[in-house]
Amino acid sequence: MDFQAIADHLSVANAPGLLSVELPRSPDKETKDKGRSGLPYLCVDPSRIVEFLTFCRDDEALGFEVLVDLTASDPSSDDENLWVLIQLLSVRHRQRLAIKCLLPKAAPSMPSSTKVYRAAQWHERECMEMYGVTFEDHPDPRNMLLPDDWVGYPMRKDYEFPKEYHGISCE
Amino acid sequence: MTSPTQDQHKPSIRPADESRTLSSGEREFFMDVATSDLEVNMGPQHPATHGVMRVLLRTDGELVTGAQPHLGYLHRCAEKIGENVEWLQYLPYTDRYDYLSAMNNNLSYSLAVEALMPELEIPRRGTMIRMICAELNRIASHLVAFGTYGLDIGAFTPFFYAFREREWIQALFEKICGARLTYSYIRIGGVFNDTPPGWLQEVADFCDVFEEKWQEYYDLLIENHIFVQRTANVGVISEEMAYDFGLTGPMLRGSGVDFDLRRDMPYMEYGQAHDDGAYGVPLGTGEKGTVGDCWDRTQVRMVEMKECLGIVRWCLEQIEPGPVIGDVPKVIKVPPGEAYVGIENPRGELGHYLHSDGGKVATRCRVRAPSFVNLAVLEDLMPGTLLADSVAIIGSTDIVIGETDR
Repeated sequence: MDFQAIADHLSVANAPGLLSVELPRSPDKETKDKGRSGLPYLCVDPSRIVEFLTFCRDDEALGFEVLVDLTASDPSSDDENLWVLIQLLSVRHRQRLAIKCLLPKAAPSMPSSTKVYRAAQWHERECMEMYGVTFEDHPDPRNMLLPDDWVGYPMRKDYEFPKEYHGISCE
Repeated sequence: MTSPTQDQHKPSIRPADESRTLSSGEREFFMDVATSDLEVNMGPQHPATHGVMRVLLRTDGELVTGAQPHLGYLHRCAEKIGENVEWLQYLPYTDRYDYLSAMNNNLSYSLAVEALMPELEIPRRGTMIRMICAELNRIASHLVAFGTYGLDIGAFTPFFYAFREREWIQALFEKICGARLTYSYIRIGGVFNDTPPGWLQEVADFCDVFEEKWQEYYDLLIENHIFVQRTANVGVISEEMAYDFGLTGPMLRGSGVDFDLRRDMPYMEYGQAHDDGAYGVPLGTGEKGTVGDCWDRTQVRMVEMKECLGIVRWCLEQIEPGPVIGDVPKVIKVPPGEAYVGIENPRGELGHYLHSDGGKVATRCRVRAPSFVNLAVLEDLMPGTLLADSVAIIGSTDIVIGETDR
């Protein structure tokens, strides 16, 4: 199935948590819309992500058995939301699906997808330390790449680089 | 002695009736010393981890009861750098995640940027040179995988043969771009420059020589009795487990899953090459033991090298004179948008998620590294194996630490 067919299938089946379908669009000079290039994706309610992913995995026509990637993004320091981006892959149907969840920066929290896909575990640990996203019920919420005593979330746009680390000057 | 499988949490020496549990006296008698849990740090400096990684092993005598990989010793903030340098300036950083397959890294990043620039056309000669370089680099990368895996297990000789062939490929790359390891040759829009005179003929010569050598190496290591005994039935990854952990590349195909991004979600001209019968996709069959064991994964990598030769030869037939790079401005401005593009790297799917707000710099540059994902399986794979097999299992995942940590 192509992306449109997948999106139609999900909306007909009334998939839990599906909010909107975002397609690329060409720039429009009259409305001063800069357009959007790249690939289409779905917006999903973060609080229902576990149900949504379970549906995508277990539905026969979708069959997304692999979670390829889970990551977060901070679009800009003015933006109120963080994005959590999930890429799914179906090996038997040779198709992909991109999912986006918006989380408020004030309290970025969503359920952990580890129960649906074990692959999410390490990706979520990385999101936690880099963006400060909290994944509820995560089985092992330690830091992945950073030292255990690291302060701040380095991938946030408003992150300030530390002036020293354990008495060693970084300037 | 048969190799232990996953579910056999047993000491190696036991009385004849295995169903009986041991009394404390018997336990001391049958096992020469009483053992208890011991935590061993394997790494950060350990030859079998192929870089700086630490695996915290919990052992009971010779038996591994738990394994916890600790990463981050080689973390160089590649994703953060991606948000601070211009699109083209980031290309040399891609060389440095998986330094054994830098051409493929360049390619993945370039294809992701090109997905955001639909108006950019890539000339056919550029695509062909990209494919030749990517496949030669895949051979070089698998040669290291196969050579060092032999080394891990105790076979010294294949390593030297593998590096001799790899040296030849590096010399070919040096002729085309001047670098031996970090190429930055595949650029956004095509490749940096055209091939030097006679280079394509040298590639053809390499293919002919390598094909003969390949059979030798296969017989030397893969069919070697000791090697088979050390790897067959060890570290078995089932199909369900492979899906659950999101494994890709040879790790997935070793478990018997027939999936290769080049064939099944074709990019560039891999689809056409497959239709012309240029290459096949080798799978783990459980020939020497169980489907998805260490032997299967190594064999898949080995056969893949031979299939790469088919793609290189197909490209050499198809290649025609012409430009090698599209109309790319000096300072690249990418239209606003976001895209995820994943390609088949030697170690699995290397994906880039790029987000542009229309400027000279990316807003988000995410690297989905195959080694990082493939390594996660260790936590489940190691418990219940013997300590000596832990090296065989880590080696068979074929990780590059530069990529797990980025």
